[in-house]
Amino acid sequence: MSLSNHASSIDALRTMMLIRAFEATLARRRDHGFQLLSAGEEAVAVGLCGVLADDDQLLTSGRSIAPALARGLDPARVMAELLGKASGFNKGKGGRGHLAAPHNGFFGAHAVVGGNISIAAGVALSRQLAAAPGIVAILFGDGACGAGALHESLNIAAIWKLPLLFVCNNNQLSVATPRATALAPKLLSDLAHTFGVPSRTVDGMDVFEVARAAGEAVAGIRAGQGPAFLECISERFGSHSTTARETRSQADLSSLRSRCPIARYGASLRAAGLLDDAGFRELEEEISTIMARVVDFADASTMPDAAEVLTDVL
Amino acid sequence: MFSEMPKENDATVKMYFREAIIRALREEMRDDLNIVLLGQDIGAFGGSYREFDGLYAEFGPQRVRDMPVAEAAMVGVGVGAAAAGHRSVVSITYMDFLMLGFDPLINYAAKLRYKTGGQLNAPVVVKTTAGARGQGVAHSQCLEAWLMSVPGLKVVAPSTPADAYGLLKAALRETGPVVYVDHKRLFPIPGDVPIGEEITPIGHAATRRVGVDLTITTHSFMTRVALEAAELLAAENISAEVIDLRSLAPLDMDTVTASVRRTGVLLTLEEGQMTCGVGAEVATRVRERLGRAGGALRIARLGALPAPVSSNPVLEAACLPDAHRVAAAARALLAGSVTEVLADTSTTHLWSTS
Amino acid sequence: MIYQISVPGLVADVEEIRVLEWHDGIGHEFDAGDLIVELETHKALVEVRAGQRGVLRQILVEEGNWQKIGFPLCLMSDTPSEPLPESVESARDLLVAFEIT
Repeated sequence: MSLSNHASSIDALRTMMLIRAFEATLARRRDHGFQLLSAGEEAVAVGLCGVLADDDQLLTSGRSIAPALARGLDPARVMAELLGKASGFNKGKGGRGHLAAPHNGFFGAHAVVGGNISIAAGVALSRQLAAAPGIVAILFGDGACGAGALHESLNIAAIWKLPLLFVCNNNQLSVATPRATALAPKLLSDLAHTFGVPSRTVDGMDVFEVARAAGEAVAGIRAGQGPAFLECISERFGSHSTTARETRSQADLSSLRSRCPIARYGASLRAAGLLDDAGFRELEEEISTIMARVVDFADASTMPDAAEVLTDVL
Repeated sequence: MFSEMPKENDATVKMYFREAIIRALREEMRDDLNIVLLGQDIGAFGGSYREFDGLYAEFGPQRVRDMPVAEAAMVGVGVGAAAAGHRSVVSITYMDFLMLGFDPLINYAAKLRYKTGGQLNAPVVVKTTAGARGQGVAHSQCLEAWLMSVPGLKVVAPSTPADAYGLLKAALRETGPVVYVDHKRLFPIPGDVPIGEEITPIGHAATRRVGVDLTITTHSFMTRVALEAAELLAAENISAEVIDLRSLAPLDMDTVTASVRRTGVLLTLEEGQMTCGVGAEVATRVRERLGRAGGALRIARLGALPAPVSSNPVLEAACLPDAHRVAAAARALLAGSVTEVLADTSTTHLWSTS
Repeated sequence: MIYQISVPGLVADVEEIRVLEWHDGIGHEFDAGDLIVELETHKALVEVRAGQRGVLRQILVEEGNWQKIGFPLCLMSDTPSEPLPESVESARDLLVAFEIT
């Protein structure tokens, strides 16, 4: 699916707006818990998920909310899971760090940095052995690129030609550590060259670019060419997490907002005549309605019984 | 469960430990086409102990896969494949290197069912070989005690070819992760394995020797050392009961407790460290279960001295329990000269008798 | 002269081996260098070759069966019709060379 037609373009904008609104609603709640948010980075998840099919599987890091919503998971049940409600996808037992809905093509998040990468290679191996349709995509940040897990998994994926797309959402900061002080390669996609894995770096603030590059990478993998690596350079509006201190200046943060991927894409759709003011308002209302349902559902849902502490262990 | 289940058909065939492993894998892999093996040098080479001999020829490179030396990725790939529908056996040649795979094993596999609220599970068997035999400080460790406390993880340790076969088959039918720990020094010792298909249930210990004066609980290679010590003690008219735990998580405390209730004396034996060891857990649980009703229980733990296990034969031998030390500990315990042995170097009196 | 071949002490920890294959049968005369029997340890094959000429007279451990280190596998003699003793204790060890593969 590319963003070259009207419907999918509007879908992409709608999804980015939904993610923004969802996270803002979440962050305003007193019971929001420990969250990693994606404001500013929405284009990466949405561009990627725009090219994934129903029988593909997506694995992510702990920054899972945007990818989960982009993948099409019911936002009401996502919110329930984030708030620990029993009606959540994981019965409230996983939370954001481990959100999963494998039947919806979201194999799951895992909160250990880099911890889901070799898992994704294993899922891809299973797909390959079963000669099943569908590829596997693993989304991780620049923070995972110094970990052996990435390099070991690239190696195995390359040797076995696994149907695996490595997507690095390089928001250029790992908590408070800028990419340049932690990672030697200037382009993280260069990491894939060592293993002969085709790779590209794109502007992660441009959902159209992300979708186009992801689409090309995915096409190659579906054709049996083996793994690929896509680096999306993005910027996050907020700090690393809801408990992490912000390290950037107010001036930097203001200038960041002017590069908002949602505003940018909205403007490009307007310029292309695909969206007008009325259309934009309709989208906003739609999202408002969705969020009202989400909040109602989450608030009406209950926490799990304490006895659930011992279920699903073995 | 007080002893092994009586078998209807006692027909057995004697085979090497590695042959029992191969037999279990071959049977299960023929039956379940979704089982894959991952390891180093397990394909045409057949494994460092020849414990995978013939499987590559039968099942081919798709299902018997050589991997580079990258234990973290090996375990992660095995776990991920298992979660996605391909039950995996990940062979970690030396238990010392299992640590490299702890993140996918413990942070992901053991927690997968729980963290996904039951949506996913990882039926993976991590098979690894523990134990010291002249190979040095980083190729000798017995670390199974570290894994016993991980919720979501099962740990088994066969001491005979029959259980190498039976426990591996059982592990391959579990729905969650199992660590299967064998031992270098078990490979040269053949044993009788049932001719018919037989599964050793997980969570059941085996009484290897019936006795009345004291209970020795142990596992893996130390089972043989315990039996040797029991022979030494028998010559002095001391009757030792030897219980081979076989399953470390879950532990079969019914069998152990019943034995200690009868003997009143417990000596736990392991090759690994005593601190937070298998014996520490067994002893504590026996106390919890028997409490005051157990009367004056006498309990001691025996294991390696708190030092790395050197390849130096003098130092390796000094570090690890042998039959004479086990017998000396048993005598001391029965004489009442120790009530509870602490795992520090002040207990050198246990080493003075040879 | 009656000789025995007993299981060689091969490597540490090996207490018991399995007889894999006898090369040729009772009455066969082996020359020095001929392969007499193949044994199997837990990880290797052991070829036991004659170090001197001898006639195989009695196989004590059949193929597929087990024997402990130091215990006898077979009886041999210089000539084909020497009478065999009641017990093997009087037999001398045959000169053999063995190769582990």
